Amino acid sequence: MLEQILPSEICLPLTKYVSFNALNEIRLRVDKPIVLSMGSQKFFLSSHGTTGNLKEAIFPSKTMIEDIIFRASEFSIYSVNEQIKRGFLVTQGGVRLGLGGDLIEEKGQIKTLTNFNSINIRIPHEVKNCSLSCFDYIIENGNILNTLIISPPGGGKTTFLRDFILQLSSRNFAFNVLVLDERGEIDLGSKGCIGNFADKISFASKKVGFENGIRSLSPNLIITDELGSSDDVQALLYACNSGVSIMASVHADSVESFLAKEDFAKVIKEKVFKRFIVLSLRNGPGTLEGVYNENLSRLGRKY
Amino acid sequence: MKILLIIIFSSFCLFFGARFYFKYKRRKSFFDALIFLCHKFDVEINFSRERVVNIISSLEEKVKQNLCSLDKNFISCIENKESLEKDKLLKSISFLSEDEGNSIFLFFKSLGRSDMENQLKEIKNFENKFSQFCLSSSQDFQKYGKLSIKLAIVACLMVVVLFI
Repeated sequence: MLEQILPSEICLPLTKYVSFNALNEIRLRVDKPIVLSMGSQKFFLSSHGTTGNLKEAIFPSKTMIEDIIFRASEFSIYSVNEQIKRGFLVTQGGVRLGLGGDLIEEKGQIKTLTNFNSINIRIPHEVKNCSLSCFDYIIENGNILNTLIISPPGGGKTTFLRDFILQLSSRNFAFNVLVLDERGEIDLGSKGCIGNFADKISFASKKVGFENGIRSLSPNLIITDELGSSDDVQALLYACNSGVSIMASVHADSVESFLAKEDFAKVIKEKVFKRFIVLSLRNGPGTLEGVYNENLSRLGRKY
Repeated sequence: MKILLIIIFSSFCLFFGARFYFKYKRRKSFFDALIFLCHKFDVEINFSRERVVNIISSLEEKVKQNLCSLDKNFISCIENKESLEKDKLLKSISFLSEDEGNSIFLFFKSLGRSDMENQLKEIKNFENKFSQFCLSSSQDFQKYGKLSIKLAIVACLMVVVLFI
């Protein structure tokens, strides 16, 4: 997929010298060196692979950055403007581009993002069986417990969710799963990574997605990524009150920092989530720090 | 010998007559197809925000034919990661004036570059411009296209009269 959006001067050294399995992020900034994040290490990209030498690094121009975004939109900015307004763009292959630029507002509404000056390309990974060690904690007596995945950005939340859906499918747990894929990342851009028993609503807000999905698809479980605002929490509570199990993720370093989030006070007080799974970057993305129950007691062995 | 010469000269006249006729006809069909493309963009972008390439690819074969490879040249530039240039875009089209060529180039260059609202406005503006070209090409076709066929037939008759 990257070959289709990146110019050859960036794409060639990437495909020739860099292992995509180890690559997490590519950061491009106008007239600044391209930085590759590989595990917990960072390198510059040069014409002959990775380097620590700034002089050898490739410096993308503004035209190059704009061209990448135009290509990622499949030459149709209007078709992805709703995503661009929210600061990202997801390509057909599920690669997410975080965008930096000038935000245009009109009458209090975001119109678009323009004058792009940076891109953060996040490389999605499929880590088979990464959710397996938590599987038995999440499913109890044939029911899926409401579960929240907690990790900092890039900590492997989406990869975990994606694998969990596949684990359900491969074990023939014929729950009706609704994947509410707000940013089009979970299913890797319709690559069929959601197994046999899942329906998907993409690019809808949590509020619209939860309401429409519950009414029209009657799911047993809703899986969604990155809860953030109070609107998301309202939508979540609506779903829980409708008798649907929820598996979601949230940005936080630890359970403690999650508990400090004001927007989630009601969720915490009502003990909506029965399981908390904490991931970190300590030994690379997806390091399992612990599984906790609703009383925040650690379950099972210490990881 | 006389008959042979009549056939040769008549064919010559008819060939030139038909050539001019089809030139004006093709020009007219080309602008008709371009206006159809604008309509299609308008509907598809408004309704489903369909991608530019998909809209062009889904055109009917007849419309593609009338576009005289304009669609193919555009998609080829995109697929080969080349920047869109006027000469590449219009390489197989010889019947356009400088002004017409520039407008078509700017139209294709503007595709997919803005949000929906502005994209639709731009398409509407270009459609109005293409409608003017279409009107003038239609008048030219009526005036010169049909005239060239008539002249060719008259020339044929004159050849016949002269030789007999």
